[in-house]
Amino acid sequence: MIGMTQIAWIALLVMSLAVVLAFVRLAYGPTLSDRVIALDLIGTLAIGIIAVYAMVWGLPVLLDVAIVLALIGFLGTIAFASYLERRAGP
Amino acid sequence: MREILSGTLIMIGAAFMLLGGIGILRMPDLYTRMSATTKVATLGIGAIMLGVAIHFGELEVLTRALAVIALVLLTTPVAAHMIGRASYFAGVPLCKQTVVNELQGHYDLRTHELESLALPELEPQLLIMRVQISHRSAFAGKTLAETGLRRHYRATVLAIRRGSYVIPNPDGDVQLLPGDELILIGTPEQLREAVKAIGG
Repeated sequence: MIGMTQIAWIALLVMSLAVVLAFVRLAYGPTLSDRVIALDLIGTLAIGIIAVYAMVWGLPVLLDVAIVLALIGFLGTIAFASYLERRAGP
Repeated sequence: MREILSGTLIMIGAAFMLLGGIGILRMPDLYTRMSATTKVATLGIGAIMLGVAIHFGELEVLTRALAVIALVLLTTPVAAHMIGRASYFAGVPLCKQTVVNELQGHYDLRTHELESLALPELEPQLLIMRVQISHRSAFAGKTLAETGLRRHYRATVLAIRRGSYVIPNPDGDVQLLPGDELILIGTPEQLREAVKAIGG
């Protein structure tokens, strides 16, 4: 019988693997936009990891961190997008 | 029962996240990579948050989880759209297997304005486009006839907007000034060539 804790650890492992894959794209590029979306995905993955972590340790307070991270990740990506667009054209 | 539901949702979420990681690595170009990551991340976060909320079974946790889901659902498409738009202008290439690029010729790559078809039922497609003559443009100071827009580039000038007034159906001897805005009609290819020639 697999308990909740084991499931949570498997989920954490799987998501960490996804972070590694996203990190390969972040390092490899080839364009700046690829790196931006890789960073965005890592941010999203971090939200999921924090949520599962909150479950493992029974700390629902950590979900507030996930909310803040979701907001900041969005603002960062928007800033990158406007920088990309300004760099692209007049 | 609650444990099973919660565990299943978390595993589904984690699997989606892994798919996102594989997608960003394996997809052939930026736009398909973005398609993979945004959809998968939204679904993954949704499932994981629901699973965590069910595990705790408290109202305050459910509220926070729903807040995260709502935030991700609202912000991810906006962010992806902005990145995609900026990348398209920046010239990030589409993959070789692309069959059709429906945006081709519809964006003014200098002003970043989306132009619509003048006569959508006609083939070849005709576009109407606005182009600004900058002071660096090779056409600034020339007359319309001298620019050869009509003869060489096959793009017809419908009107010229100069400050607050408009010159409709301009003759060939109208002189173009920096700051003028040309309203051009032509096929996407003709307009692209014309815009390139106008330069600046």
